[in-house]
Amino acid sequence: MKLKQLLTVACMSLALALPFGVQANEGGVALKHAEVDASSHEQINRGLTVFTEVCMGCHSAKYVTYKGLLDYPEIGLTREAVDELRGDRPITSGLITDLSPEDATVSYGKVPPDLSLIVNARRGGANYVYSILTGFEKDPEGKILDGNFNEYFPGHRIAMPDPLGWLDHDEADTAELEAQANDVAAFLTFIGDPHQNERHAIGKYVMIFLILLTIVLYLLKKEVWKDVKH
Amino acid sequence: MLDTIMKSKLFGWIDERTGAEAIIKSQLTEYEVPKNLNYMWNFGSLALLVLVLQILTGIFLAMYYKPSAALTMGGYTVAFDSVERIMRDVNFGWLIRYMHAVGASAFFVVVYMHIGRGLYYGSYKGPRELLWIIGVVILLIMQGAAFFGYLLPWGQMSFWGATVITNLFGALPVIGGFLQEVLRGGFAVGDPTLNRFFSLHYLFPLLLAAIVGGHVHALHVVHSNNPTGLDVHAGKSTIPFHPYYTIKDAFGVGVFLLFYCYVVFFNPQMGGYFIEVDNYVPANNLQTPPHIAPVWYLTPWYTILRSFESKLLGVVAMGASLAILFLLPFLDRSKVRSARYRPVYRQMVYLFFVTVIILGYCGHSAPTPTLKLIGQITTAYYFAFFLLLPFVHKFEKTKPLPEEI
Repeated sequence: MKLKQLLTVACMSLALALPFGVQANEGGVALKHAEVDASSHEQINRGLTVFTEVCMGCHSAKYVTYKGLLDYPEIGLTREAVDELRGDRPITSGLITDLSPEDATVSYGKVPPDLSLIVNARRGGANYVYSILTGFEKDPEGKILDGNFNEYFPGHRIAMPDPLGWLDHDEADTAELEAQANDVAAFLTFIGDPHQNERHAIGKYVMIFLILLTIVLYLLKKEVWKDVKH
Repeated sequence: MLDTIMKSKLFGWIDERTGAEAIIKSQLTEYEVPKNLNYMWNFGSLALLVLVLQILTGIFLAMYYKPSAALTMGGYTVAFDSVERIMRDVNFGWLIRYMHAVGASAFFVVVYMHIGRGLYYGSYKGPRELLWIIGVVILLIMQGAAFFGYLLPWGQMSFWGATVITNLFGALPVIGGFLQEVLRGGFAVGDPTLNRFFSLHYLFPLLLAAIVGGHVHALHVVHSNNPTGLDVHAGKSTIPFHPYYTIKDAFGVGVFLLFYCYVVFFNPQMGGYFIEVDNYVPANNLQTPPHIAPVWYLTPWYTILRSFESKLLGVVAMGASLAILFLLPFLDRSKVRSARYRPVYRQMVYLFFVTVIILGYCGHSAPTPTLKLIGQITTAYYFAFFLLLPFVHKFEKTKPLPEEI
């Protein structure tokens, strides 16, 4: 096979594999599209506020430490802000909810999942998180209680009560609630892989270097092979 | 540059004691290779590169990874936590781990291309039968190593994948139950399974390295096949491996790294193909995921397994689909090697490649009646391809072979 053919096939399979990634929701419902920028300092910090004030009432993000909030350049909280957030907890502690698993089981019937990896662990990622947060509706069949029916949750019956107050919200608040859902989805996308921005930044230099290296190697190959008749 | 080194005093001192010069000459500078190899012949050296990358990154990962299924907060385990620690807290741990995870898939990509090239150009035929057989052993050990490695993060797909596959051994008559218990180290997949899989995941690449040595040695005895499949004799139609193929392989490495690094740095999960979505959920033995599928490189064989109603038949068929590769050199009786001059075999082998891709697609998707039927048809062709080979040469009119390459 000639080099050109081989490269065409390789590029095509890479391009084909990407959009076929597992994007669809398991329930088969098309997800809403989230406006998320996991490299935006502002959006991640707004999302952190929603997370600590709303989500952390029940959910933890145990892999994200208070020290991380200090150290990740994308978040970059000041020492004072971190101290205020953590209270008596050690700075190496993860973001752990005050709700004990026992109390959660009594109140909701199950222990709320840890959210450190929720974007990676759900088909659709940030879109899934955003859709769930803005997916609380009245059950069209009237079987599931208000606040427990979610259009985007597989099976629709969700144990999490409407955290942002989406059901029955005023029309005027829609934009604000959607912004909150987007922001927290951005924060969760960031903490799912906190080195992703660094990875992209380094990756650009790696690719530039490799392109140059490959060009040089190609020219070298042509030079070495120029006398071979084949 | 090699000449300058070989003329140095130090090299002379080493040469007197090891015969290094003779080795370099016989294996590199005077090792004759057909001059007409195309770029499909680059995948062997790429496979070696990825093996080295996997071993190196694996050694560093093992410095931080902890094989324990002991529970930690939030339903996670020590093993899962240690992987996340590598991803978050270890300096450049994310890079090493993504390189390793993407490397596993890259390994299979290049090895499947390498095998496909061997099939198309008849590289398995005499005198290269043993070279091919050693290659099949390498494939089996690779699949084993990949399977053991996939359990280590202790996610949902790790756990349930291992449960499904170890279950298969239980289907074998008489020794099945015993085998299954030995593999698992108990009655169910658990902490002892994780520990022995980690141990075996470290052992298998070392076996690979040794057997790859045998593969390369066997190659250097019988020399490379080439796109025409003709026997070549040293002289006009061959060139020394170094510098011609060292530089061509180096260029191939550059192209490969472009693709590999693009995935590592910009899309390491590859949309759920290289690292599955469900594997970010910690293993839970009380909750079966809605759809269990192995990683893409094992899915063709998974489809063959699922194509039979009886579990035992499925397991036997899956084993046979791999074992039949050992017999390939003896099944194909045609005197002509390359598919270029074999019109019938050429169509058959193209269809075989398409079949394996379809099998892979079926194994990756949730089962539906249509996919099951497609899986069964392609499974039938998978075996038919091999079973027809002993008869093809009887009616195939091969094209005239060129005098020389």
